[in-house]
Formats: sequence, structure tokens, C-alpha cells
Amino acid sequence: MSDQLLVSTRKGLFTVERSASGWRVTNTAFLGENTTLAHVDPGDGGWYVALNLGHFGTKLKYSPDAGATWEERPVPAYPEGAEFVPGDGKPPVPATLKLIWALQSGGADQPGRLWAGTAPGGLFRSDDHGQSWELVRSLWDQPSRSRWFGGGYDFPAIHSLCVDPGDSRRLRLALSCGGVWITDDDGATWTQGGHGMMAEYMPPEMQFDPAIQDAHMMVMCPSAPDTLWVQHHNGIFLSSDGGHNFVPIINGQPSVFGFGVAVHPHDPKTAWFVPAIKDERRVPVEGKLVVSRTRDGGQTFKMLRNGLPQEHAYDIVFRHALAIDSSGDRLAFGSTTGGLWVTENGGDQWHEITAHLPPVHAVTFVVNGPKK
Amino acid sequence: MPTVVIASSLARWLTPTPTVGAGERAVHVEGTTVREVLDSLFTGYPQLRSYVVDERGALRHHVVAFVDGVVVRDKQTLEEAVPLHGEVHIFQALSGG
Repeated sequence: MSDQLLVSTRKGLFTVERSASGWRVTNTAFLGENTTLAHVDPGDGGWYVALNLGHFGTKLKYSPDAGATWEERPVPAYPEGAEFVPGDGKPPVPATLKLIWALQSGGADQPGRLWAGTAPGGLFRSDDHGQSWELVRSLWDQPSRSRWFGGGYDFPAIHSLCVDPGDSRRLRLALSCGGVWITDDDGATWTQGGHGMMAEYMPPEMQFDPAIQDAHMMVMCPSAPDTLWVQHHNGIFLSSDGGHNFVPIINGQPSVFGFGVAVHPHDPKTAWFVPAIKDERRVPVEGKLVVSRTRDGGQTFKMLRNGLPQEHAYDIVFRHALAIDSSGDRLAFGSTTGGLWVTENGGDQWHEITAHLPPVHAVTFVVNGPKK
Repeated sequence: MPTVVIASSLARWLTPTPTVGAGERAVHVEGTTVREVLDSLFTGYPQLRSYVVDERGALRHHVVAFVDGVVVRDKQTLEEAVPLHGEVHIFQALSGG
């Protein structure tokens, strides 16, 4: 189990730790700065934190010692001549880094490997702990990239990176809006996945085009890596063949709209979602914050509400703000209105850690525990 | 030689985590154009480069430079002349919430 959380917020990075008296905030870094994502390398325990400073651009910070000290790391840079052609008819623009939206370490056999998913749609690879980055041209040069477009942002953005624990050459990624992409050879070649997803926001003849799907978030079950769950703009989808094909899960309660999804690390049929009213309102259904859990692969769902606000709650949980630890019992999520909750029993009971953080972008369990 | 004056909101990023209470910083540098002056500044403070210019080398959209009180208009080429004892100020837009 992990006893430490990194909470990335609009106003800084908060470290939250569990003690005998419960969970509490124990450290703050980059206070006042827009912290968009944190990643802990399971190999060396290093912390990577992405900031989006607005005027001064996107930044990447690294801490080798659990936040005691920080170093600047270069951010991925799009090469000269790289161009983004919006799929919605806007004129082409030079591709420059807008956002680091996903960070994922390679396999245990790839020390120093980091993948970075970015806006406007570039996947970057580092083999030296983020000291240098290279655009993965084999994906960037896919002809169907011309159909990608922004969902939420002005640019398409890679938000989900899933590395097969048993074979680190197998990587699956998802982006808004460009669907699911698959490589089985460490990024040398790519195949469009995500067949079976459906986009209500497109003209009828284009609704099943896999290259325009708005997958909000995709997670892979570590013990059954051919199982991938997707929270999509238009519902929940499940793949049992490594991301090639998906089936819609229609029984989500109280809705099938949301952003985050977590899968049990040892049981591919168990997954959690934080539903909301689609699409124009984006608030919890009836102002009641609930987590939705299936234990049977999406045939049935149970709404988990113990310990969560059930009256005039307007918390939205962003795609990276729902996290699960390696035990599968402990989950945590943070909301746009600054709430942070944790469960020790798979969601049957939730405990409010605080209700007063800045808007939460991402919640990350520290895999190796505190390094002091 | 010219002087570059870095606004406090930028000077606090001379360290990996922002320095609380960092004031503005004045640095003497070589150069006869804005580009040369900035390159000289980045030689001494390499971590500052990505905060001031984007990956194409242009002044960031919300960063502005003045040479002796005159705004630098071409943020891409940065070829405006800087006098021998000129003063280059680097600021950023005001915003927040």
C-alpha cells in the first residue's frame, strides 16, 4: 500500500501522508504555481512534476529526494517545421509545446525511459530520465493525425499512457481527440485502436471513426494488460484485446459521463468512475458526489456515497485526479472545488482529507513510499 | 556594456523552485542587439531561456522587452539595436486570479 499522495493543483503541489491519526498535508511545493501533473518513477522513486506557468510556458521539475530538493528538467520541444493542422478547419500553425498531459515510465528493463504525452498531440520519449526528449515521429507522421482535434483544449492532447508490465514494448495511449493508438514494438510502428467507440458530437457518417474519438481517460489492468477501460466523452468503453476493439458499457450509474477511471490492479473486471451530468453542465447528478464501481466488467454498477457530500456538491473530478494504489483497496480523488477524499476499502467508505485545496488537477500515489 | 533588468516575477525562477521575495535582478551582459543581449544573459543563466523565449527563440507571447523604454516590436527576430550602455527590461503581462 502507498501511504503518500502527490496532489497537483492550480496553486501548487501538495504532499499528503498517512499516519496513525489519518491523512494530512505534510508539505507544499510551488505554492501559487499552476501544477498540472506529477509522476513517480517506480524504478528510482524520482518525482517529476509538470507546471504550466502561463506567461513563462510549460516546465518540468524533478526531485530525486521526495521533494526535499528540485532540479529543472528540459521540456519536450517540437522540432522546427513540425506543424499542427486542426481537424476542424482552422488554418495550420507551428507545433509548439502547450501542455505536458501524461508522464509514464518505461518498463523495469528500460531504466531512464520516460514517455510524455503532450498538446498539440506529440508523444515524446526520453531515455535519460528526462534530460533530453525526442518526438516520436512514427506516431506524429500518421496520416490520420490530420483528423485529430482538441477536446476541451484548442489542441489534441495525449493524456493516457499505458505500458504493459509484462512487455514494455507494448504501449497503449489515448488522446482527446484522436482515439486510441497501439504499438507492440516500443514505438517503431503504430496501429489505430479504439474501434467500436462512438462519438455523438460528430456527423452520423463519422461517429465511428476511431481517429476522432474523445477518450477522456484510459487505464490498463496491470495483471491483465489486454483489459483497458476508457471513460469517453460519450460513455464508458471496455477492451479485452489490448485496445484494438471496445464495447460500450451502458449500465453506468447515475450517468456514463465523466473524466476519470481507475481499474483494480489484480481484477480487470473491477473499475471505478466519478460520474457527472454530461455535457453542458458538468456537475454531479443532483448535486450529489458519488463514485461508481463495477465488479463484474460493467454489467452492474454500485454507487458509492458514504463519506461524500450529498447536498449541493458541485465537485468535478478531472481525468488524472482519481488514483488507485497497488493494493486495489486504497483510492483517492480530488475535485475542482478543492476536495480530497481517500478510501481504504475500495470505495465503500470515503474519508475527507480536506475540502479547501485549490482546484485539483491530478492525484498520484507515491509507489516507493517516502524517500527521506 | 548593456544592462538587462529582469522583473521580480521572472527573477524568482532563477532557482528550480520560486524564490519568495526575490527582487528584480540587474545583469551586465555583452551584445549589440536584443538577441545578442539575451543570448549573453542565457549563457550566465541557462535556466532562464525557456522562461523568456519559446522553443522557436521568439519572446514568449506574454513576455515583453523594452530597450531604453522603447518596446521591442519584433518578438521573433529580436534584431533591435541595444546601445553600449543601454538598458533592457524584461517584464511579463499582468494576470491572475
